[in-house]
Amino acid sequence: MAKVYTGRDGRLLIDGTEQIKVSSWTLTGALEVLETTTLGDSQRSYAPGVQEFNGSATILYYKDDTGRNDAATALKKVLRVAGVSSSDTVTLRLRLVDGNTNSDVELTAYITSVTFGASVGEVSRADISFQGTGALTAVTI
Amino acid sequence: MTFPTLTPTSREFTPGAWPIKSYNSQSGAEVRILYGSQRTNAKLSLSYENVTDANAQLFIDNYAANIGTLRTFTLPSAVRNGWNGSSATLDAPAGTAWRYEGEPQLRSVRPGRSSVTVNLVAVI
Repeated sequence: MAKVYTGRDGRLLIDGTEQIKVSSWTLTGALEVLETTTLGDSQRSYAPGVQEFNGSATILYYKDDTGRNDAATALKKVLRVAGVSSSDTVTLRLRLVDGNTNSDVELTAYITSVTFGASVGEVSRADISFQGTGALTAVTI
Repeated sequence: MTFPTLTPTSREFTPGAWPIKSYNSQSGAEVRILYGSQRTNAKLSLSYENVTDANAQLFIDNYAANIGTLRTFTLPSAVRNGWNGSSATLDAPAGTAWRYEGEPQLRSVRPGRSSVTVNLVAVI
């Protein structure tokens, strides 16, 4: 059956926990290419180089009835008293849902920037950017 | 061992010069004396970007086979690929041959890929 995915199908899991109030996420995958064109060639040629994955997400700064605040998980990776260590990664699973079928991309990433604030008449939200480290750990798209 | 038959990604050639000495008198007149009939010291700088490690190793092996800067050798035509002029123009002048001017520089770019730069000089 045909399926058009929309924001309603999007999910974001951080360290296995589905975030409650996510308004958007994006993922960018890039491949660096190494030029192998030599003198006399008429067309450029390339060899594959290293890959890179990064993206961003916007999460409402929201506390549920149990006091759980999803945005805080990501925010605390950068907004902290102690410095960031190499173990301060998060496992991000970016998901699109189609009934019982999930289209997932999972990666280990560092939260590289966070922005959040409060404005009159607006819901407080946290904008986070992440930089993947290593290979993707799961791809089911 | 012959020089690797690979096409460079960039090439820089300087044709060398004849051994000439100039003398200037106090009057300003210049006297030039030719001390040899051959053009020497032509230079060729070759870059091989993002080649396989196996191909990059060929240059190190060739450098070792020529005992570094000691021995002279000729170059395959692949070195001049992309040049539409006379092949002799970009080669060592008649009566001279190439030797390494210095050590080849090998830079590892990523697993399995390296870039190599070799500098050659033509000597009698």
